[in-house]
Amino acid sequence: MLDRTLTEFLEQGLAIHIGTRNARMEPNGCRVTAVRVEDQGRHLIAYLPRAATPAVIEDLRDNGQAALSFARPSDDRAVQVKGEFVDSRDADDGEQGFVLGQLEGLLRQLELVGIPAKASSTWKMWPCTVVRIRVTAIFSQTPGPDAGSVLS
Amino acid sequence: MSFALEQLAPCFQGIIPAMLFTCSKDGTPNAAFLSHVDYVDPAHVALSFQFFNKSRRNIAENPQALIRVIDPDTQQGWAMRLKFERSEESGPIFDRMYFRIEAIASYTGLKGIFKLKAADIYRVESVEPVPEEEGVKERWSPRGRARQPDPVFTMKAIQELSARINTASSLDALLESILSGIKEYFGFSHSMILLAGEKPNTLVTLASRGYPEAGAGAEVQFGEGIIGVVAEAQKPIRISGLMRGMLHARAVAKRAHEKGWSPDRGVPLPGLANPASQLGVPLLVRGELVGVICIESETPYRFHEEDKSTIELLGSYLAVAIQNMQLKEAEEANGEVPEDRVAPAAAAASGDRCELTYYRGEEVLMMDGEYLIRSLPARILWKLLQTHQRDGRAEFTNRELRLDKSLNLPAFKDNLETRLLLLRRRLDQKGGDIRLVPTGRGRFAIELGCKIELIEKA
Repeated sequence: MLDRTLTEFLEQGLAIHIGTRNARMEPNGCRVTAVRVEDQGRHLIAYLPRAATPAVIEDLRDNGQAALSFARPSDDRAVQVKGEFVDSRDADDGEQGFVLGQLEGLLRQLELVGIPAKASSTWKMWPCTVVRIRVTAIFSQTPGPDAGSVLS
Repeated sequence: MSFALEQLAPCFQGIIPAMLFTCSKDGTPNAAFLSHVDYVDPAHVALSFQFFNKSRRNIAENPQALIRVIDPDTQQGWAMRLKFERSEESGPIFDRMYFRIEAIASYTGLKGIFKLKAADIYRVESVEPVPEEEGVKERWSPRGRARQPDPVFTMKAIQELSARINTASSLDALLESILSGIKEYFGFSHSMILLAGEKPNTLVTLASRGYPEAGAGAEVQFGEGIIGVVAEAQKPIRISGLMRGMLHARAVAKRAHEKGWSPDRGVPLPGLANPASQLGVPLLVRGELVGVICIESETPYRFHEEDKSTIELLGSYLAVAIQNMQLKEAEEANGEVPEDRVAPAAAAASGDRCELTYYRGEEVLMMDGEYLIRSLPARILWKLLQTHQRDGRAEFTNRELRLDKSLNLPAFKDNLETRLLLLRRRLDQKGGDIRLVPTGRGRFAIELGCKIELIEKA
């Protein structure tokens, strides 16, 4: 589903958010610190800050529906991945370097658009809860006339 | 609502894009970046609707939304629960968003493609801080503001600047004193004033401050950039997150190009190479556009809403003063009788040779192969140089220019004095080999620091 090019794009350190919804069809969402593509692009492993609203995890466990949005601040290239929740666990210490490495990638991107990295130094992006999402659809979200077109 | 929407003003400047979460009727969530969230009132925000996308379709099915915005000064994230109420395709909220987007679109040649379809109005049901995006206590952003907005200080500054407007002795002095006053009182270092040009729907730069190139004579078409859009709309525009807006627009431009659409020619940004904030205010007298004042900064969110109000107020005084000064200078000039019509040249032509080529068809005057000036100021200078070369005259009066049919001045409101001021500034900017020096009311002399060669082409 997620080919090599897309995988490289998603894992470079982007502005990532996950959207969910509850039983009343109210949307919820939070920031995602990092992602890893696994299983030949069929699954996304998303690292959600544990400080984030618990509503997102509750929604995922309740109905499984997820939408992950990825954007590169320096050129607004963006992708959305739709998927279904598979399982979750706490991130272990061995994953911290990888996760924070992606966060640094995002902060470098933000520097390019005039937001100093130190400005985000108080964000609580670690420790994380890891959620596994089965990829069901991928869309372009780069602003413009073909935003929303299917990528895969 | 747990937190007041007004406290979140910095979040609504478009500096950091917002995140919009929606959900379709069948329960599929959607997460999308949003270029701009606009404050409407203490209970409402407006979201820009530019393209028919999944978020917009979801809202049509399910009016509930969640947006997350970030305070660019503290990096504190905020989550707002919204309910869609209505779409507006006209009115003040729509206009404010529309013209800001138009200005950004014109910089990337995207007018007509990157445009606002509607301002979607949402009721804000709750505002909560985002726990994982905890902000810093001290604002990091160097807004460059020496002091917080203070109504007493602002009123005093307006009083002082009004006094300068009232005591200015010429249009030249009026424009200079206002731009220096804006720097002195408000700390706005980069500013320019453009007045209505000779050609319809154009503005021409008369005065500027803070730029390496003064830019006298630079023209802006209506609809081009923030200045052109302000002129076209006759409304003030404030852009705080120009860098973000430009990135967003360029992404759209790239996609539009890939789809085979052909955006218009891109227009280079006037003034600063990389402005992050711009404020443009029309100078209006009874609905007539006299000109535009534009202020820029490389600092995001440099200009606040109260700055826009202040410059608008100042602009209303300035517009009347400019128009009065133009009338006064024209009347004074008309009262002058040419006395010394055959006076010899005041300055001996010496030094290097200078070649001036006048392209009659395009009404463009080139100096040593470089563009000098066009239209009426070009016709005037060409006339002066020809007369000087033929008769040896150096002194001229505004009145004789006004009576000269060959110059083809408009019968009504010819703004001759403004064109002469523009010509004088442009010549000074080009190095001063040719100068126009005021010698009295409605009188001036041409001074040459080079030997001129005149060439006329069709």
